[in-house]
Amino acid sequence: MATQIVMDSTGDSRHFFEEDDPKGLAEAERRFKMFTGRGFTAATRTPAGDLKLIRTFDPTAKETLFYPHLVGG
Amino acid sequence: MFLFGRNVAQGARLRALRALYRSFNEQNGPEARARRLLREWLSPEQRAQFDVNGFFEVTGSLTGRRYRIHQCTMSNVLELDEKLEPKVGWCFLPERALAVGDVMLAQKIALETDEAAVLAIAKSFSPRLPFVPRAVRRAP
Repeated sequence: MATQIVMDSTGDSRHFFEEDDPKGLAEAERRFKMFTGRGFTAATRTPAGDLKLIRTFDPTAKETLFYPHLVGG
Repeated sequence: MFLFGRNVAQGARLRALRALYRSFNEQNGPEARARRLLREWLSPEQRAQFDVNGFFEVTGSLTGRRYRIHQCTMSNVLELDEKLEPKVGWCFLPERALAVGDVMLAQKIALETDEAAVLAIAKSFSPRLPFVPRAVRRAP
């Protein structure tokens, strides 16, 4: 089971899908494009715990976190 | 007498419901959820530091500089010098209103993965200004 976590006003929203389900993967990729298209940044973690930004959908990522565009304060 | 007793019982039930609602909100409201997410994504060292001090430190991906992220949503990132003393403050945040934990997590990820982009947008400020967070202790 893989998860897409989107930061929002409730804290976060989570979307779950099975990596071996083509329909779930297609839906996850559509969500990825939708959120990055809205200016969200997508990040994943390697098994060692290192963070990585991703620009394209990674079907192997167990967890993808989306956070809103950052601006200067 | 019977009616009075029923009112007392209803009042107690209402108070219990309110307490349950408050407790649910404290554990599942935006701040609590964001805090849980932040703790999940912190390294073990950062998590320990955050639990004790209410802030944690990250290393910039480009320069290797150290930054301290305080528990706040604005003017909460301080660049540290070699003695780990605040050198300059950097203000940057998500464009949407988010809970504190989410803001801190977004700042951490940005600094650890794309420091150059952060420094290009962040506004600097003096870390000696009175509103700059010192060591903010976690609420019990």
